[in-house]
Amino acid sequence: MSTTIQPEKILRELSELWVSLGKDADHGQESGVLRACSMTLVTLVEEAEDPTDVWSTMAALMPEHPSRAIVIRFRPSAARELASRVFSQCWMPFGHRRQICCEQIEIMASDASLPDLAAVVLPLAVADLPVMLWCRGARLVSLPDFPQLGKIAHKLIFDSVAFPEAVAALAKIGDCSRSGQILGDLAWTRLTRWRGLVAQIFESRKYLARLPEVAEIRVGFGGTAPPAGAYYLAAWLLDCLEKVGARARVSWVTAPDAAAGQLARVELLGGQALRVSIGVTGDREHQTAMVQVDSLSNRTVFPPDNDYILLREELSIPNRDPVYDRSLAGAARLAQARN
Amino acid sequence: MIGHAILKEMPLENPFQDPLRFERRIPECAVVIFGANGDLTKRKLLPALYRLAYERRLAPGFAVLGISRTAMTDDQFRENMADSVAKFLEDSPFDKDVWSGFAQSLYYMAGDIADPATFSNLAARVKQIEECRHTAGNVLFYLSTQPSQYAAAAKGIGAAGLVKGNGWRRIVIEKPFGHDLASARELSEQLHEVFHESDVYRIDHYLGKETVQNILAFRFGNGIFEPLWNRRYVNNVQITAAESIGVEGRGGYYQEAGALRDMIQNHLLQVTATIAMEPSATFQPDAVRDERSKLLRSIRVMKPDEVLENSVPGQYGPARIGGADVPGFRQEPGVAPQSRTETYAAATFFVDNWRWAGVPFYIRTGKRLPKRVTEIAIQFNSAPHAVFGENGADATPNLLILRIQPEEGISLRFLSKRPGAGMKLRPVSMDFNYGSSFGERSPTAYETLLLDAMIGDATLYTRQDMVEASWAAVEPILNVWQNQKFDFPNYAAGTWGPRAADEMLARHGHTWRQP
Repeated sequence: MSTTIQPEKILRELSELWVSLGKDADHGQESGVLRACSMTLVTLVEEAEDPTDVWSTMAALMPEHPSRAIVIRFRPSAARELASRVFSQCWMPFGHRRQICCEQIEIMASDASLPDLAAVVLPLAVADLPVMLWCRGARLVSLPDFPQLGKIAHKLIFDSVAFPEAVAALAKIGDCSRSGQILGDLAWTRLTRWRGLVAQIFESRKYLARLPEVAEIRVGFGGTAPPAGAYYLAAWLLDCLEKVGARARVSWVTAPDAAAGQLARVELLGGQALRVSIGVTGDREHQTAMVQVDSLSNRTVFPPDNDYILLREELSIPNRDPVYDRSLAGAARLAQARN
Repeated sequence: MIGHAILKEMPLENPFQDPLRFERRIPECAVVIFGANGDLTKRKLLPALYRLAYERRLAPGFAVLGISRTAMTDDQFRENMADSVAKFLEDSPFDKDVWSGFAQSLYYMAGDIADPATFSNLAARVKQIEECRHTAGNVLFYLSTQPSQYAAAAKGIGAAGLVKGNGWRRIVIEKPFGHDLASARELSEQLHEVFHESDVYRIDHYLGKETVQNILAFRFGNGIFEPLWNRRYVNNVQITAAESIGVEGRGGYYQEAGALRDMIQNHLLQVTATIAMEPSATFQPDAVRDERSKLLRSIRVMKPDEVLENSVPGQYGPARIGGADVPGFRQEPGVAPQSRTETYAAATFFVDNWRWAGVPFYIRTGKRLPKRVTEIAIQFNSAPHAVFGENGADATPNLLILRIQPEEGISLRFLSKRPGAGMKLRPVSMDFNYGSSFGERSPTAYETLLLDAMIGDATLYTRQDMVEASWAAVEPILNVWQNQKFDFPNYAAGTWGPRAADEMLARHGHTWRQP
């Protein structure tokens, strides 16, 4: 592997790629290709990870978030190593005559070359559009030079589930937040479906009026320790309840049927038999939620829990999400307190 | 009394709402559908409601009560609707788990709108559903019936005391809203005997289309276009809504309506209003509707002697398209052999206000045209001086095209130098495709509009004054056409309409663009 990359060379290769795509389309009697770009999406992965996974997520994202995708694959090595290749991803929307194409760049790097990467990625970022950085591995976040690379991004996206331990993950992400970085955590994104159901229940004036009665938030999870999502959910509920003057306590309950690290159930309990619960069963691909509000029950399904669905949402929010920021701070406090 | 006191003191805002992440949520309510065994319910309404359930947008306290003359149990209704929803869902999976939860909220009762007992039974059933489904007294009445039954249905609802309750009561009606200005006013008066205008939701599914809504985003979310959006820079506007199909089994209905009533009076004048209206101060429903209404009222009403110069009716005749024989309108089932109904209509409208004075708005719609396409083309004035001479093609004006269907998006045509020696220009197109075209699923118009009606957002619904203003604009044309004998059929199926439509534009020095 070489030790240097010239961003200008990569940009030239990209330019040649577009010319050749245009020529191919002309030969094929098509109406040309449409270049689409709404951001630069930088993804950090471990070299050991199956690249097919990452690229298939990128491919799924492209129709909704067309971007210049830069995937940096890291190998744990003390030698400075850098290499790159460029290619494109095209698709033909149903019923259309023109292909839409996005640029993709793959960079192979060693841990030791991390300090060099910011200078490589910065010129490759598309002008005037946000840079989103998705870091898939917990190890990479811990590398001493990671913050330098993180600084080039408008938004950093983690998945605290990838960290070995929720308390440490929330502390680490909290540190990043305090440095002023705009953050996203896919463990929080997974809660949108839960939070949406809770919000839906309290669209009812009848239940909204009883909200100040809530005295207990009961969170059920699989395994021995609450996952980051459980802390986030409890912190968010506490924050919202505080706005209506409710002072609730949080109880952590183990759900024996749930897999370790899985959020299984949340209940809001109050005086005079106010009882709201959401229980989720199933695997990551098909989760069914049972909503119980007093005597009324309703069943619904959650969208699949995969990187594509979660990133699709997170990439739609390039700016600061104040609800998340407050919940992150609250979750870190709850995690520390329970620890 | 204690409950009432709590309600008065309680926070009005739901603290769990997170607009950055969640879509709008529907409060608990019951939807009462008259004509529940009809095509619209099966093809559009129930699939849209199911889809809202699938997207977790419906409240746990939700119910649908279907009414029609056919005798059926709740379970039979649920089974019928399961088949329809599975069949007519667009771009969506049918999930048995979601359906089983949703089906529990479906109820049915047989009843005839003409029978007063139907409404007393309905009142009892609504009360019962309110108690068991916790719908909080909110009821949306949806009239998916013949328009001739609207007044009777509203009257029955009023007589049974159904317009008052613990929560809100709203009524949704489908077009046509009358068949002329007088009948539109009469219908409004009949509805107003029972419902306040703010609770009457006149549905125009065109306004529910994502891309029509995107016109507002495009115009008022961007700073660079609005300064050009006036008579100083715009030469003419062309709105085309073409169908490649014929009347497809709707011959009986279409024979009574015709293209002008079916498309221009409602959909296309609403689109015109969206294109040409002044910016509203806020995006509040009545602020937007006030501006739409003002624009519609600014459309110059043609005098009888101006009508034939500024409008063209057409009717398609038989033709051979793609190796197959295609019948003419008069050969379609349910159509009289000597029918004088127009299947094509084109008109030149002028908007008499400071922004648009003198700019023609050409509107055309028709059946059996070469392709299915709906788009708005805004043609700008040519460059004032031909710097590049004749070869420069300076005369080719800039064109902004807002495509509504089938390929939603925006294209801007401008001139560019041809590669090579010399200064030769050629027009090129810069295209933008909306998110929906990129793959993201857009909600159907009925999902959007039902959601809005349940939330109480009437922005995309048509108000009485808008209906009357658009009738005022088309009624003179209808009156003249009615008393004139046209030489129908006057265009062959598969062509862009009668030659007289081209001549209408030629009188202003313009030509129709080919979509």
